[in-house]
Amino acid sequence: MRRTLRDALIALAVVFGVGSIAMLLGHVSPVVGFAALFDGALGNQSELAETLLQTTALLFPALGVALAFRAGLFNIGAEGQIVLGGMTAGVLGVALPLPGPLLVPTVLIAAAAAGGAWGGLAGFLKARFGANEVIATLMLNTIAVLFATYLIGGPFKQPGAGAAETPQLPPAAWLPVLVPGTRLSVSFPIALALGAAIWYVFRQTVFGYELRAAGEAPEAARRAGIDLGRTAFTTMALSGAIAGLGGATIVMGVLHRFNTGLSPGYGFIAIAVALVGNLEPPFIIIAAFGFGILQSGAIAMQAEANVPRDVVTLIEGLVIVALAGRRFAAERRAA
Amino acid sequence: MSALGAGLVALLALTLVKATPLIYAALGGVLSERSGVVNIGLEGILVAGAFGSVVASAATGNPLVGAFAGVVAGALLAAVLAFAATRLGVDQIVAGTGLNIVALGGAAYGLVLIFGQPGASPEVPSLGRAGEAVLIALAFGLAAALWFALFRTPWGLRVRSCGENPRAAEIAGIDALQTRFWAVVIGGAIAALGGVYLSLAELDLYSDGMTAGRGYIALAAVIFGRWNPWGALGAALFFGFFAALQYSLQRSGIPSELMQALPYLAALVALAGFAGRVRAPAANGVPFERS
Repeated sequence: MRRTLRDALIALAVVFGVGSIAMLLGHVSPVVGFAALFDGALGNQSELAETLLQTTALLFPALGVALAFRAGLFNIGAEGQIVLGGMTAGVLGVALPLPGPLLVPTVLIAAAAAGGAWGGLAGFLKARFGANEVIATLMLNTIAVLFATYLIGGPFKQPGAGAAETPQLPPAAWLPVLVPGTRLSVSFPIALALGAAIWYVFRQTVFGYELRAAGEAPEAARRAGIDLGRTAFTTMALSGAIAGLGGATIVMGVLHRFNTGLSPGYGFIAIAVALVGNLEPPFIIIAAFGFGILQSGAIAMQAEANVPRDVVTLIEGLVIVALAGRRFAAERRAA
Repeated sequence: MSALGAGLVALLALTLVKATPLIYAALGGVLSERSGVVNIGLEGILVAGAFGSVVASAATGNPLVGAFAGVVAGALLAAVLAFAATRLGVDQIVAGTGLNIVALGGAAYGLVLIFGQPGASPEVPSLGRAGEAVLIALAFGLAAALWFALFRTPWGLRVRSCGENPRAAEIAGIDALQTRFWAVVIGGAIAALGGVYLSLAELDLYSDGMTAGRGYIALAAVIFGRWNPWGALGAALFFGFFAALQYSLQRSGIPSELMQALPYLAALVALAGFAGRVRAPAANGVPFERS
């Protein structure tokens, strides 16, 4: 609890300290800049809905990243898993001849499976061959984006379309909207429920115990009979499945089609979210909302206070650096 | 010269152009990782080198000053990682990931602050064709020099011992923290030359996203090259060749994405040990603390 509070204060100090300095360098009053940011993120119902959409988009991969972190694994590949989950949703949502009540869950499960396969591949390479999961997921990120680019530009190309994207999903494959007049869909409560489920898994299940043991004291866990290889595989597969699900909800709830621009780096910002949330789902939800405000307010800040959105990117990177002090793996063998 | 011969020469020339930034970044990565610090931040260091050199070249009108400033900028960014990794004992992967984002966001904002325009800088005095040739040759020279320094000098032995077993190195009287710090900083300076090449030799400006993941390809080259400067050079040339081949094969029906994916697939194969025995320095990525 104390560490959570400390990390949150560090993150807030970076956000407002660095943000203010950056704005002052651009001859913009930080009061004006941050006012525009918060007003753009929270000023009215539709802006709040957009902020919650950003929160949701960050929450899925952040939960996945946190799950892996707790097991002593660094899933830096959430970005690729988002892309693959989104692509699966974009392709199957159009192709599957199922009625609505079946279509949405089927596509969501398939997208989670695709993300899970991608994460699980890194887990498998680690468990079977001792391949470092950081480098593996980093490489798999780019491979996923290239694979998706190839598929939508080639085999799944939409006839006559200029942009490389899949055809629009039939409305039966859209996620139901939660608040009429906004784009906020059921993806938000799904993400919250997933956070609660992961919290329960961490605390109340044998798998959660094994996962944390593998992360905190791998040697002791191994001696206690925990199969570290299997835990690594399962954790990475789950982590990837959660990120893949997030990609699917962007496609099915927001874009209603897939293109490779579906994520402006959610998979990387998710690392900051997971760290600020101290790898505990309840705090991760709060952190995701905080970063959701930054993400959605950045556009208004650029338009109204003339502060480039890149300032938010800079801040997000510095939050990661500032919170890198936590030990994630007792015995990580890198690269 | 026959058309085929001319095509081949053009392909090899393009290979050198595509490989050079990768060589620098990979050599910087080799030095850093041989000392035991994983440098995920290579991408950010390329950005710092590319952006810093353009700013200084614009300010002074002298591209040589620009190149020097780019190297300093890369070394400074590496110094942040090095300080965090050696003195603060932070997670190197997390810090490196954060620094990449900082560099990208910082350069994008810097474009607006310094040049008053987003996206790309105006054209600045560049190193020209002669400078480009020098930088290409220097990349090969540095590979040889780094190999000699790492494997034939006492300093290299110290660096490598810190990457294998820093505790034993300290017992032998080596300051492991300081050795690691300087290995990362010098590695950053070397890698930054790759950024300088991109912005002041291949082009004459900085634009957002111009590094295009080359820092990650360089990480792949470090692994594929088995943490050896010659190996990294070979891997970078290999990846550069396929980057160049893309242009030749545009109408051949072979998807260009497959070519682009090749470095990453090769790194995965190497990581999984399918390409012979690959072993990282034993203490690579493991923070060292004096107890």
